Amino acid sequence: MRTSSAFAFDVRFQWRHGFYGVYLVVCAFYWVLMHFVPEVHKEKVMVLLTFSDPSALGLIFAGGIILLERDQGIHDSLFVTPIRTREYLLAKAGSFSLLSLLSAWVIHLLTMGIPESPFSFSAGILLTSSFMTLLSIGVVARCQTINSFILLSQVYALPFVLPLLGYFNVWESKLFLLLPTEGTLRLLQSAYSTLILRDYLYSLLVLSVWNYAVYVWARRSYEQHILMRVGSGGAGR
Amino acid sequence: MIEVKDLQFSYPNQKDRTLHGLDFAIPQGEIFGFLGPSGAGKSTTQKILIGVLKAYQGSVKVMGKEIRDTGPDYFERIGVAFEFPNFYTKFTALENLKLFRSLYSGRTEDPMQLLQQVDLADAAKLRVSELSKGMKMRLNFCRALLNKPEILFLDEPTSGLDPVNAKRMKDLILEKKAAGTTVLITTHNMQAAEELCDRVAFIVDGQIKLIDSPRELKLRQGQKRILVEYRQHGEIIKEEFSLEAIGNNDRFLQLIRENPVETIHSLEAGLEQIFIDITGRQLT
Repeated sequence: MRTSSAFAFDVRFQWRHGFYGVYLVVCAFYWVLMHFVPEVHKEKVMVLLTFSDPSALGLIFAGGIILLERDQGIHDSLFVTPIRTREYLLAKAGSFSLLSLLSAWVIHLLTMGIPESPFSFSAGILLTSSFMTLLSIGVVARCQTINSFILLSQVYALPFVLPLLGYFNVWESKLFLLLPTEGTLRLLQSAYSTLILRDYLYSLLVLSVWNYAVYVWARRSYEQHILMRVGSGGAGR
Repeated sequence: MIEVKDLQFSYPNQKDRTLHGLDFAIPQGEIFGFLGPSGAGKSTTQKILIGVLKAYQGSVKVMGKEIRDTGPDYFERIGVAFEFPNFYTKFTALENLKLFRSLYSGRTEDPMQLLQQVDLADAAKLRVSELSKGMKMRLNFCRALLNKPEILFLDEPTSGLDPVNAKRMKDLILEKKAAGTTVLITTHNMQAAEELCDRVAFIVDGQIKLIDSPRELKLRQGQKRILVEYRQHGEIIKEEFSLEAIGNNDRFLQLIRENPVETIHSLEAGLEQIFIDITGRQLT
């Protein structure tokens, strides 16, 4: 009940702060951009876009919102209610995943039509966005300023873009199989070609395991670095 | 309602202790004030009592339960208003209250009724960014009351308020006390403490120097004398009298009979002066 309340409020918060409006512009930009991409490269570029977009959305915006909430002292009011850290984190991850899913579908429908495997395409977007959102929250909890957050979030996110090297045939490594984003790439490619069951299960498993691991880390970071400061009146005071 | 024994606390990575063995108890329905200068440890004590800081030593029992063993459900039973009234600024007063209300699973107050009680009904549909400090403070008070709390923790409840709004806030706090709510106030505003608190604790350097009722303190520490100001030949004259057997003091009776008296004051001590006398510290 609390999770759904917090989720609904986060969606309204993002709407009120113009996130959905911004994403309409972003989608329009991608749509125009895709017109200039040669037909033979369209699938590759589209996978890259749908890979990077939820990652960037979760990574940058989630951290930005937490910094905003912290500076405004919202946590002082929020964490003297019965809301659990778990519920707060799930609401944030869920609301960003929804926005990512909507924007990915809009871009895809406008440029490439309906994905061949809508479910695995959607699962790839949702699980990648929630992973990046939770990673971002874990990082931002340790940062005092927007600059340190931007820098540190890139450091933490860097290893997770390595599978793109394999995707673009720059450098292959079996180690990429251990990274969640390898699963993301396979699920996103299912928009254009059928994914075999083994790959499908592997992708869901690796993304789920990483989602759980980063959730545990984000929760601990949050409890250690943010909740300890509840009652201090926000960073700006 | 609240029972604290030998409470000690150190912040992580800090060598010195912030609290050095506090002992106090607060019965149900009392307004208890923690008075002290900034950095004395009153906010730390409040954060422990509301369950934010749990790595304390000693015992802190609230409503019969040790605080370090409580979970988030503890917040179903208490209300907390910190000094700075923080809300989602792009949402209206009513939207904010509705959000916070949705986070409680127990019985809650109707947000619109709460807004009416604090004279904010007309501002219900205004964004928080459009509210004045006084309005935000009252909204903050409403937020703390949403879950019908048994204990109310208020941090500097009259801070930054003009006299009219400060009076309104004090009346609201007294109404809650009359309804049986236990109220714990942390403040360095002696006047507010004097008017509101049944008992106060003076806290300095993480130690409680004294706990008593403001009235008892003022009587005990003050002089049992009165000061009379009267006018004679156009001049204001002041004269002091002992309160002892004042009804038989011929000089006093003659003075008030024969002269136009302008003021009469008993010379009990002010709470601020008592604080300075006892702790040797200013309240800033």
